[in-house]
Amino acid sequence: MTTRPTVSILSPDGSASGNSHPLPEVFKAPIRPDIVQAVHTGMAKNRRQPYAVSEKAGHQTSAESWGTGRAVARIPRVSGGGTHRAGQAAFGNQCRSGRMFAPTKVWRKWHQKLNLNQKRFATASALAASSNAALLMARGHRVSTVPEVPLVVSSTAFAGAAITKTSAAVALLKAVGAGPDVDKVKKSRKTRAGKGKMRGRRHKQRRGPLVVYSPAEDGKELVRAFRNLPGVETCDVYALNLLQLAPGGHLGRFVVWTSAAFAALDTVYGSATEASALKKDFLLPSPLVRQPDLAKLINSSEVQSVLRPVKGGAITKRPMVQKKNPLRNRQILLRLNPYAGQYSKDKLGQQKKDEKEKIRATDEIMDLMHTN
Amino acid sequence: MVTAKKHVPIVKKRTKRFERHQSDRFKCVDPSWRKPKGIDNRVRRRFKGQAAMPKIGYGSNKKTRHLMPSGHKAFLVHNVGDVNILLMHNNVYAAEIAHDVSARKRIEIIARAKQLGVKVTNGKARITTES
Amino acid sequence: MASNISQDLIWEVTRGYNAMMVKRKQAGGVQFSRDPLNLRNVHSRKQAGFVNDKAIGIQPGEKGGVKFMTKKAGKANKPASSLQTTTLGSSTSTRKTYRSIVNSTAKHNYRPDLRADAVARASAIRKTQKPVKPDPPSKPRGARARKATESESS
Repeated sequence: MTTRPTVSILSPDGSASGNSHPLPEVFKAPIRPDIVQAVHTGMAKNRRQPYAVSEKAGHQTSAESWGTGRAVARIPRVSGGGTHRAGQAAFGNQCRSGRMFAPTKVWRKWHQKLNLNQKRFATASALAASSNAALLMARGHRVSTVPEVPLVVSSTAFAGAAITKTSAAVALLKAVGAGPDVDKVKKSRKTRAGKGKMRGRRHKQRRGPLVVYSPAEDGKELVRAFRNLPGVETCDVYALNLLQLAPGGHLGRFVVWTSAAFAALDTVYGSATEASALKKDFLLPSPLVRQPDLAKLINSSEVQSVLRPVKGGAITKRPMVQKKNPLRNRQILLRLNPYAGQYSKDKLGQQKKDEKEKIRATDEIMDLMHTN
Repeated sequence: MVTAKKHVPIVKKRTKRFERHQSDRFKCVDPSWRKPKGIDNRVRRRFKGQAAMPKIGYGSNKKTRHLMPSGHKAFLVHNVGDVNILLMHNNVYAAEIAHDVSARKRIEIIARAKQLGVKVTNGKARITTES
Repeated sequence: MASNISQDLIWEVTRGYNAMMVKRKQAGGVQFSRDPLNLRNVHSRKQAGFVNDKAIGIQPGEKGGVKFMTKKAGKANKPASSLQTTTLGSSTSTRKTYRSIVNSTAKHNYRPDLRADAVARASAIRKTQKPVKPDPPSKPRGARARKATESESS
């Protein structure tokens, strides 16, 4: 694994601008899907609105149990007469028009408190994951036309409110190779299965690129330009959001950086040794394992020097193998009988009997035999 | 269509279903298997002449597990892309078209499967018409 | 690739779920992969093309033949230029196709472990490009066969 100290900056038309920027320290943060998932589940809960069934539901009747001795269950029953409702069971969760079991309350614990350091860790981890093309592909982003990951576009593209129209925004994304990902989102819009349709979640669609900008340099006009593009989101580099960086808790969101935002990352996050300028008491997490490449670890001289040599040399007797018949399996035969090779090469087995020297009994011997 | 890879003969140790105890006596007792839990239950105590209970010993040989009589394993496909996955596995897996695929798409799937030599288990469904 | 990420780490992060994976509950939970750089379409560390620095992909060409791709090592973070694509058209004989695939990969110590898989896939793709033979007419069996013989004899 070679370390990549710099990332090249693309000019607005998609060609290399020739400039580059050193890779910010955030991208060296450890990739921890467990922390990202845990923080994401917590954070996703923090935008919920309370809901509950009516406090009175199922209790708007003056039902009373009949007690024992009437050969019916002791469930409360609606009092009175003159209507079918009288005498019917009420209140219980098993009853028709009774209240539900454990009615939902508005004072449910809707929000989760999360440790600030954990949230920062998760964001740094998600950012680091967004710099890896393999993780982007695994998340489903179409990045095969992207010249480099992380994708940094020169801030000159946005200077002086250059991108205020969606058509300009689309042209920019297409130029830098993010077009297929935008198209993917456009095609992915489907009606949601289930009841979410009637609860304001009519459609499902994929997520496209996330454009991260720096409001001071790039201005805020681009937000409106990108706003109407399905799946494309924008984010201020000083307010990065884990829900956007790792949607669904899955690492590897495709991020399009403006060069100003990219340059700001080091001031936002600092490094593993230098505290961040903007976040109080924050040092970037450093990886627990310095060398994540297993093959390199195993082949390192430190590990190899303490390994015991392979037992038995090149040929090891394997236990539990099927016994092979040497009469049918030639390789086994040769192993057992090295002469077999020469024997078949000389075609000794195919020679006819009469070709061999026949030892005939001489007349003398025949006579001797017959005299007795 | 490629025939399946050679395999050891498929032996099913039991072909009858395991029916729930007393499901033959009451309409309200479903024949789907439920393990009897009663303290005196004779099926649970494995008395002679009682219904057999499922146990691990009825499992099939690992080499023939999930195999259809043709020797293939089934793989559910929804579209042509799913069939393409089976390119290198046409002697192990057979495509099974999902129930919610229309007749028009089925024709495309079957045509592609034929090119790839992939067996389709339900290739006649919705394609043939009565005449 | 930054120093904090390795192929092994990517695999561990993505092996549970990823966009190319195809899971089925049939056949004991089979897992395939749609990755174009996966020679056997199997979800495994060895075959996962998007994880490995070096990977071979063989796909049917647009005009017949096969399209043969390799990943350039060291270009993992430049997706647009990371693939080396060669088209071996339908006029190239199959043997030449296999030879050129093996010569440019396994012979140059580029994933020699995938040699057999690469040749097998190229062969399978070439086989699919042959014209499809029509099914032989099904022989009537059982009652239908008896009926057919009766109608012939009468």
